[in-house]
Amino acid sequence: MSDSQQGDAPLVSVYADDPDMAELVVEFVSELDDRVAALQTALDADDLVALRRMAHQLKGAGGGYGFPSITETASDLERACDNFSGDIAGVREGTQELIELCNRASA
Amino acid sequence: MTQDTNSSARTVLVIDDSPDVHRLLQARLRNEQLALDSATSGTSGFERAKTIEPDLVLLDVDMPDLDGFEVLRRLKDERNTADIPVVMLSGHTSPQDKVTAFDLGAVDYVVKPFDLTELRARIRSALRISSLLKMLAQRAHIDGLTGCWNRAHFDSIWPTAIAEAARHERPLSVLILDADHFKSVNDMYGHPAGDAVLEKLAELLRAECRSEDVPCRYGGEEFVVVLPETDPEAAGQFAERVRARIADVVWPKHPERSVTVSIGVAGTDGAATLAPEQWLEVADKQLYAAKQGGRNRVMTARVGPQFQPVAKAG
Repeated sequence: MSDSQQGDAPLVSVYADDPDMAELVVEFVSELDDRVAALQTALDADDLVALRRMAHQLKGAGGGYGFPSITETASDLERACDNFSGDIAGVREGTQELIELCNRASA
Repeated sequence: MTQDTNSSARTVLVIDDSPDVHRLLQARLRNEQLALDSATSGTSGFERAKTIEPDLVLLDVDMPDLDGFEVLRRLKDERNTADIPVVMLSGHTSPQDKVTAFDLGAVDYVVKPFDLTELRARIRSALRISSLLKMLAQRAHIDGLTGCWNRAHFDSIWPTAIAEAARHERPLSVLILDADHFKSVNDMYGHPAGDAVLEKLAELLRAECRSEDVPCRYGGEEFVVVLPETDPEAAGQFAERVRARIADVVWPKHPERSVTVSIGVAGTDGAATLAPEQWLEVADKQLYAAKQGGRNRVMTARVGPQFQPVAKAG
């Protein structure tokens, strides 16, 4: 994990102080709970298609809302799904990591 | 012939399956002079582009139903959307994807998540280039002196106008206008005076035209006007108004002189059609007859299998 904020420390958007963005960041963060739940459901079902789709969306969105580490982790997970060759443990680990990051994100 | 290249709000269509991207762009482009329109799938985006014909398309590559490359291919295949600049948005950084995008006709390729300052600059750049291209294409069809369409433009639209009228059996006319004794204006007062006369003729001609009429400078002191939805009688009346207005002009530097024009008209009320060159030839014959008849007059003919002159209106 390349993010400098480790462990359980809240993850703050780099746009937190940007007046254009503040409101959007709050909205994005408030919706992350739903995404985490969906990720968890897909993880429990080992649903690679759903995981890949959600990872792809978070990859595109995270950095845009000021969370580059979400983009990075989601990108790794998307790639793991794309190149899947039986390593379900790796996919699970990546999903878990992404869920933890999303849980730490704060507006 | 509007040149809307400077209009303030340009329309940008965003095609992306992620609602986040739409929201981010709305926020980030709020202060640009842009009207954002959005579609959340490839299929609906392609349809939307055909409907609104935006100034620019921002197109996501990775979409579930129809991917961005396929949308791009279709946009470039469609006549109305082929010239709209397309900027690809993609999470993929592979050179192969970029090459594919450019080969299919994209003007730019931006990797997500995008830096918004950079994206704004790229949007401005794409819009600027497309304005210039549009302007160039239009300039190539505009007469430099009079601002009317030029002969190349007439040649490109005249066959289409005939085909349209024939298909729907609608009226269509064309007129050829030639300034009388124009050579003597040039000889006596010099070429700048001759140019001023041509500019004035063009101005009066345009003033009589409706938005669908197409006034063109055909060459020298000769103009042609395509008059859609106009039967020969109405076209003759149009020509007569133009002739009278021109004859009435008082020229500031030479109030003692007047400039007159002769006009030949050829049209149909929808019953007949003719090849483009032959149709123009009928109008040209009428012009010749007007010259022979003493100039400063209009002669009108109905085109068709049975070529018949039309009695002069009024």
